[in-house]
Amino acid sequence: MSDSTKSLSHSDQPTALGIELENLTKIYPGLSIPAVEKVSMNIPAGDLVVFVGPSGCGKTTTMKMINRLVEPTSGVIRLGGRDVTTGNPVDLRRQIGYVIQSIGLFPHLTIEENIGEVPKMLGWPKGKIAERVREMMAIVGLEPGQFARRYPRQLSGGQQQRVGVARALAADPPVLLMDEPFGATDPITRLNMQREFRKLQQDLGKTVIFVTHDFEEALLLGDRIAVLGDRSRIVQYDTPLGLVGRPADEHVSAFVGASVHVRLLGLITAGSVADTSLAAPGTRLVPGAVTVDATTTLRDTLDRLLGGATVVPVVDATGKVLGGLDYPAIQRAIVSQMAALEHNTGYQGAVRTGVARQPVVAS
Amino acid sequence: MTISLDKPGPPPLDDHPPAQVMEPSPSHRRGLIHLLWPPAGIIAILVVLWLWVHSRTLDSIEQRTLNPQFITDAVLSHLKITVIATVLILVIAIPLGVILSRPSTRWIAPLFLGIANLGQAFPAIALLVLLTMWLDIGLTPAIIAFVAYGVLPVLRNTIVGLQQIDKGLIEAAKGMGFTPARILFRVELPLAVPTMLAGVRTTLVLTVGVATLATFVSAGGLGDIIVAGLKLNRLPVEVTGAVLAVCMALAVDWLARIAEDVLRPKGL
Amino acid sequence: MGPSIWTYLDKQWVRIEPLVWQQIELIALCMVLSALIGISVGVLVWDRPKLAGAAQSTASVILTIPSLALLVLFIPPFGLGWLPTVIALILYAQLPIIRNTITGLRGVDAGMLESATGIGMTRTRRLFRVQLPLAWPVILAGLRVSTMMTFGISAIASYINGPGLGNLVFTGLSRLGSANSENQVLVGGFGIAILALVFDGLFLVLRRVTVSGGLRV
Repeated sequence: MSDSTKSLSHSDQPTALGIELENLTKIYPGLSIPAVEKVSMNIPAGDLVVFVGPSGCGKTTTMKMINRLVEPTSGVIRLGGRDVTTGNPVDLRRQIGYVIQSIGLFPHLTIEENIGEVPKMLGWPKGKIAERVREMMAIVGLEPGQFARRYPRQLSGGQQQRVGVARALAADPPVLLMDEPFGATDPITRLNMQREFRKLQQDLGKTVIFVTHDFEEALLLGDRIAVLGDRSRIVQYDTPLGLVGRPADEHVSAFVGASVHVRLLGLITAGSVADTSLAAPGTRLVPGAVTVDATTTLRDTLDRLLGGATVVPVVDATGKVLGGLDYPAIQRAIVSQMAALEHNTGYQGAVRTGVARQPVVAS
Repeated sequence: MTISLDKPGPPPLDDHPPAQVMEPSPSHRRGLIHLLWPPAGIIAILVVLWLWVHSRTLDSIEQRTLNPQFITDAVLSHLKITVIATVLILVIAIPLGVILSRPSTRWIAPLFLGIANLGQAFPAIALLVLLTMWLDIGLTPAIIAFVAYGVLPVLRNTIVGLQQIDKGLIEAAKGMGFTPARILFRVELPLAVPTMLAGVRTTLVLTVGVATLATFVSAGGLGDIIVAGLKLNRLPVEVTGAVLAVCMALAVDWLARIAEDVLRPKGL
Repeated sequence: MGPSIWTYLDKQWVRIEPLVWQQIELIALCMVLSALIGISVGVLVWDRPKLAGAAQSTASVILTIPSLALLVLFIPPFGLGWLPTVIALILYAQLPIIRNTITGLRGVDAGMLESATGIGMTRTRRLFRVQLPLAWPVILAGLRVSTMMTFGISAIASYINGPGLGNLVFTGLSRLGSANSENQVLVGGFGIAILALVFDGLFLVLRRVTVSGGLRV
């Protein structure tokens, strides 16, 4: 996905809208136990919020209530402060992008027809749709001349997923809902998609709700993460940093601890990934400043960050500054380490599961 | 001229002529109620017919035509035509289907079915009349025409039924030292029976339907009553003939369904 | 032996040609109406198992009824000629169309439907833009089977003065032994068979033209 993402205001709607859920409850007919019970949360405009939790916890149901694919039994959903639980669901859905794991591209329509479908429903003029389709294809890294007239089955899984994202964003919706969108792709493609999507989201500034059961994905993508338990109960709603540093209960810490990303934190030293743009080497430090030693693990570095500092300088044994670290820098370090592992070992699956199973990592 | 396709089977998707392979009807779905509905309906129709005919004052022509003897003759000859044609169809189509599904002859089967499908486009009534012109009026040309017309469903379902058997099963039987004949009779045919029976039912319904046309070549059947009614311009007569033909078709379909349930090998 | 079939065709073409057109009109009319009715019924019942079962059973019972009997029963309410013929042929054509419409619509992936709803399609738009196009190859196969059957039954409809080439068959039959009777039956029978095969071929063309390239393997 390239970064030619300027000039995207194709509609008169705002770039992003905040979402408020208030006591949202879903009880399916004939079932006594609610699938989702009294969920309240506030999703700031432009944030990427990940719902993460075990399968069957109701995270998808919660998400689907936002575009009313599932009608809430009770509770209120506000989009940009406006109650959307009443009114026409079809109009609502047309201003909410939607991407699901099976992608849901229409096999009988070409790529351009798929991407242009929502603008077409919104009654955009033909020329504007065509222009927008080309623009969206460029944004997600698909050459329009090559792909526009193809059918979904002629594309690889990763390419199809890009089309799915392009279709969801085509009408420039202020909100995007994504249900395990990268779940069906292979690990390398997935990692690429995750990184590209993260960048795209930062460029576009859309409000995104992203559902996954993969904690790594949550850590990688989320501005905020909502760890959900049974009936979509919010166990913890926090930044990735907060989640790793201050797990609300054993449940969350087990979740966090099982994560390869988090395990990698304990393997990588601060010195090996210190970012010189955050603190120039040789900078003089105020006496008593919070620093980390080059041999400190990233996990311990995170602890320092939780103490309040946004950037911690990394120093060598003699106290000389090597560079600095902040949360995004640590995140980048983990991601590139993951990528290196998956590219080098050749058995990608094992990186995820194997490491978690063997206690080779200090904890 | 009726083709029974009452089970939602896999629809033909390819570019071959539409292959109406009848699927065996699932027995587990059909309880006693389902088996009792058709005869109840048939009896109800007959009662209504009887009441209607008797509520009218029949003129002398109607009385002469709607006599028990004439009706019984028509019913019996209709049944006779249907039974003879069906038996001949089974005797021809099943062995032919078996032959066409042997490993050495398998390649001919699609060709054969293709030609048979093309032949199916030729209307039954035209075939019947032509055969009569060539062979003289009466039962023989009618039977030949109906046999020619009804062979395809049994033939097709026999071939399909035999071909869809898991090859591993046949391998296993070979491995146990079965002779080819033993494999055919102990493994292949029993497994193909449900599909074959579905074809037989289709053929039966088809035959009982076209047998109404036998009257056009003076070969009898319920068509006699219908045509008599039309020629005499007597409504009660033609309606009686038509309703009896409908009831007979429904009854034959019902009996064939029961036969399908009863004759299906128990393990399947 | 009467005159050869070619002499007959040559001499009588003025009388045969209108029947050919009648036959084509009859089948085209019946199939368009049958398709509208059968597909509509399929669309209405496909996700209601009981109604779907009822629709298929009813269509199946109709197909069991001998065509001569049904046509004759239609004389009192509908008279002779086109009307009872068209109604009967439409009824006979229903089962393959309804069945395949149901099968085709049921074959559309649930995720696809959710996706269509999720991006803001109304039910109607979803039906015409997603469900029917995806089910279309299967529906088309049903229409093709129906068309072949309709040709066969239409020959018998000529007995109640229905239109088409079946008239030649019955004329030949009524003049059994006369000079041209055999030729009439031959031309009637083969005429219907050839037209049936032509229509069958048209379905391949129709498939080529109307089924999205994205669905062709």
